[in-house]
Amino acid sequence: MTLTETWRQAPPAVLAKALTKVYGHGDAQVHALREVDVAFATGAFTAIMGPSGSGKSTLMHCLAGLDTATSGTVHIGDVELTGLGDKQLTLLRRERIGFIFQAFNLLPTLTAEQNIRLPLEIAARQADQVLFDRVIDTVGLRDRLAHRPAELSGGQQQRVAVARALISKPQVIFADEPTGNLDSRSGAEVLSFLRTSVRELGQTIVMVTHDPMAASYADRVVFLRDGALVTDITSPSPQSVLDTLMKLEA
Amino acid sequence: MLKTAWAGLRAHKLRLLLTSLAIVLGVAFIAGTFVLNDTIQAGFGQRVTADAEKVAVAVLPGGPDKTIARETLERVRGVAGVREAQGLLRGSAPLLGKDGKTVGDLPTTAVSIVPGALDRTTIVTGTGPGSDDQAAVLDENTAKAQGFRLGDTITVLDAKQRKHTFRLVGTLDPGLDQQLSYTGVVGFTMATAQRMTGEKGFQEIDVAGADPARLKATVAATVGGAHVVKTGTELAADLARQAGLEMEMLTIGLLMFGLVAMLVATLVIYNTFNILVAQRTREMALLRCIGATRGQVFGSILIESAVVGLVASVLGLAAGYGLSVLTLAVLAAFDAPLPTAATVTLTPATIAIGLVIGLVVTVGAAVLPARTATRVAPIAALRTQVEEQTFRTGALRVVFASLFLLAGLGAAGAGALVLPPGQQGSLLVVMAGGVLTFLGVLILGPVLVKPLSALIGWIPAKLFGVPGRLAVDNSGRNPKRAATTTVALTIGVTLMTLISVVTASTRATVTIKLDEQFPIDYQLVTQERDAGIPRVIGEELRGRPELAAVLRIRDTRVAVGGTRTQVGTYNGPIEPQVTAGSMRGFGAGQAILAEYTATDLGVKVGDTVSVTTKKAGTVPLKVVALVDEESPLPSLTMAEPQFEEAFGVVDDSRVLLNIGEGVSPEQARSVVDAATAAYPTVQVQSSTEVRGQFDETLDMLLMIITGLLGLAILISLLGIANTLSLSVYERTRESALLRALGLTKPQLRRMLSVEALVLGLIGALVGVVLGVSFGWAASRAMLDGAVFSASAGQIGVFVVLSGVAGVLAAILPSRRAARASIVGSLAAG
Repeated sequence: MTLTETWRQAPPAVLAKALTKVYGHGDAQVHALREVDVAFATGAFTAIMGPSGSGKSTLMHCLAGLDTATSGTVHIGDVELTGLGDKQLTLLRRERIGFIFQAFNLLPTLTAEQNIRLPLEIAARQADQVLFDRVIDTVGLRDRLAHRPAELSGGQQQRVAVARALISKPQVIFADEPTGNLDSRSGAEVLSFLRTSVRELGQTIVMVTHDPMAASYADRVVFLRDGALVTDITSPSPQSVLDTLMKLEA
Repeated sequence: MLKTAWAGLRAHKLRLLLTSLAIVLGVAFIAGTFVLNDTIQAGFGQRVTADAEKVAVAVLPGGPDKTIARETLERVRGVAGVREAQGLLRGSAPLLGKDGKTVGDLPTTAVSIVPGALDRTTIVTGTGPGSDDQAAVLDENTAKAQGFRLGDTITVLDAKQRKHTFRLVGTLDPGLDQQLSYTGVVGFTMATAQRMTGEKGFQEIDVAGADPARLKATVAATVGGAHVVKTGTELAADLARQAGLEMEMLTIGLLMFGLVAMLVATLVIYNTFNILVAQRTREMALLRCIGATRGQVFGSILIESAVVGLVASVLGLAAGYGLSVLTLAVLAAFDAPLPTAATVTLTPATIAIGLVIGLVVTVGAAVLPARTATRVAPIAALRTQVEEQTFRTGALRVVFASLFLLAGLGAAGAGALVLPPGQQGSLLVVMAGGVLTFLGVLILGPVLVKPLSALIGWIPAKLFGVPGRLAVDNSGRNPKRAATTTVALTIGVTLMTLISVVTASTRATVTIKLDEQFPIDYQLVTQERDAGIPRVIGEELRGRPELAAVLRIRDTRVAVGGTRTQVGTYNGPIEPQVTAGSMRGFGAGQAILAEYTATDLGVKVGDTVSVTTKKAGTVPLKVVALVDEESPLPSLTMAEPQFEEAFGVVDDSRVLLNIGEGVSPEQARSVVDAATAAYPTVQVQSSTEVRGQFDETLDMLLMIITGLLGLAILISLLGIANTLSLSVYERTRESALLRALGLTKPQLRRMLSVEALVLGLIGALVGVVLGVSFGWAASRAMLDGAVFSASAGQIGVFVVLSGVAGVLAAILPSRRAARASIVGSLAAG
């Protein structure tokens, strides 16, 4: 059990126990995840890091209900994902999870505002106008709402994706390399929005990244290697993350 | 590059299979038509050859309406080398049905059946009349339709309309003789046939003997130049050619539908190769990166299309063969008057035509997409994302489309409104206008798709929430592809709607004209014009209180200004549609002409025409009015007293009756039946019967044409399915994103179904608008005084079917989209 030091008072937003994911059969079998135990605190910004092929994306996909684990359990809040059918998983994603992907976050046919409201509309929920205004102002998109993705810069597109993830007040937001396609200034902008939303809105965010600079925005960084959780650090700095990575790669 | 093309084919087996299905269907239809034609023609040939083998030489009259004198037969019998010679006699001998009235619209044809080697009739059941003058045979269909069985007594009228009874001893097959098939046949011994028909001469003399060629010469020398003499083989060839003519018309008609199907298939293939090229943009770019020239890329796509075209054509030929075997089996089962026994064969010509059409269409349709493929820049190999195709309305496109539309609509408008109706030329102008307009719509298609999808998608967007709205957006997203896809469907729907409108308008026009001019309940007619309705019937009916109106028409044919014309008169109430002049105060020395007669004679109101009669010599008549040709009046109408003066006693040729108010149809019918009971040749037709027959014919025509156009719709379905699967492919990541955001699998499937529905409805809507417009124009051009009518029900069915078709086409692509793994799809590209 490594569920120790950074426990806050609230129960974890996401909890995985003995999570294992195996691809393929026989000789071609690959263990993407080996008995991973991990908890993500509510209201915290956690980064998942690790070298290429360490299983960080697979971990995120299993946690978010996009992929099903071979064995082990995942809880989002009080709901156990294991054994849920596609329909229930879909509804769970709709109600409790927000996503920010590396690229292709937006539907090209919809305007920025329509993209932001999309999860609510799919769930047939009313938007909280106060929250909407606050989110829009936080990410600074008010004058861009009527534009389509093709008319926005990469950074702006990613800010729309952040706003979309925030608007439905999900229990947890999963961000998969959210700055991977951005220049460093836009990346920094997006990351600070993420951090602000954790501080000011109490949002829980789990972010997969391979960039130590991005990871340094998080409250805590967990490290994976060969499908297993190896260590974690709290209040990271770019240097401490880099050092830990160097140690892992060695 | 050959290897690349081959690998491309193998990698896209399924997609290409779907595409080739479009070609297979088109080629199958065309090849099937040819096989059917060849087989039936061969059947004609076989039959007449079998018949003609019995005949060494045949003597035929020198011209139509002529016969061969009896002495000629005796002279032929005396020719050296003639083993046997028999005359064939043919004439009218109306058969009476079980109701005591003559059967059919035309009198039954009596034929002589000779005993011995020269008997060419095919007895199906029972025997021929042999030498029994009291025996008769009927053709199968007539016997069946009238419910006569072997051993029954049948009644036949002779030339003087006296009844004679015969014992039915057998049934025969009239074979390929279209006239006999139509009128029905009653076969007698030669003596009886002569007695019944009153015919003096023969239609044909058949001669048996050795060495036909020499016999032909000697017989010809004997009978003289006024006759045509042929060997059996020559006769067979002629008969086969005559019988085959109708088949050729049918073949040409069927080929038109085949062409429509191929046109639709071309659009589908064009779209599919566009799709394949788009899907393989990176592959093409990679090929270019590693050194393939543009020409090589172009060539590889063309080779691919050629292989697809070839394989599909071969399959199409096989399918066409199967199709024609099936059709022949159905024809045989329904006793169609066509020979179905010949061996079904794929002639080299059919194979060549099938292969060439399949290949040319496929490769031709792939040329433009192949050109697009050559424009792929090598750098595209390095891009991660397929670029969204943007479409901008070019000025050139609008200009061209406007030109085509203007010319097309102008031509159609001129054909419908300006040119004289009822003429082939006007219809051709409208049709040309239709083609031009269609081209205009084809060019303008991409511009129309977006607004139309917004218009049509309004309801689905409201109804299906987010998936619905996204679907409507998506349907207009690639306007060029959407336009090509829907145009394929538009072709079928346009033609179906057009045919529906034309038949509905024809029906309405004819009904209204009949009602306006003489809303008749019954009409009395005879099978032959010269055998009229005895005047006493009209006299008697006129006195009956059950009938409100009795209109009697009399006519005869005489020379008017040198042309033989139907001249007659009427007695009773009539208000024909007068197109020029006036009928008021119509009397002696005046004439009313049907419009077409006036045109033929080159006269107008106020001119004088001369009617030449034996009794009164030349009678000058002043034309006072022209009437619509739908009117029951004769071509030239004189006042009754003057007509009687000029022609003496002439029987009524038609009597039109109206039921009085408050009299039941049954009551009126019994009065009419009683008045005509003594006259077997006078047939009573009720207007509901006449209209029923007319309606049935129209409905049948509509059904057949709609069925044949169904093929085009089926092929366009394949196109919709193809387009959707490309959309599914292109939007893999988008779909995955939506699924991640909480769209359920059924919602994703519904999204694609709605997209297909919108595409289908766009195609249908454009088709309905074009079909109704050109249906209107075509009706105006074809029918004088056309009344526009469209069956909302039928058109509604076309629209609903198109929508359903679209949704059906979406089933497979949407299943694939829903099944895709979210994680895998997000990583894709």
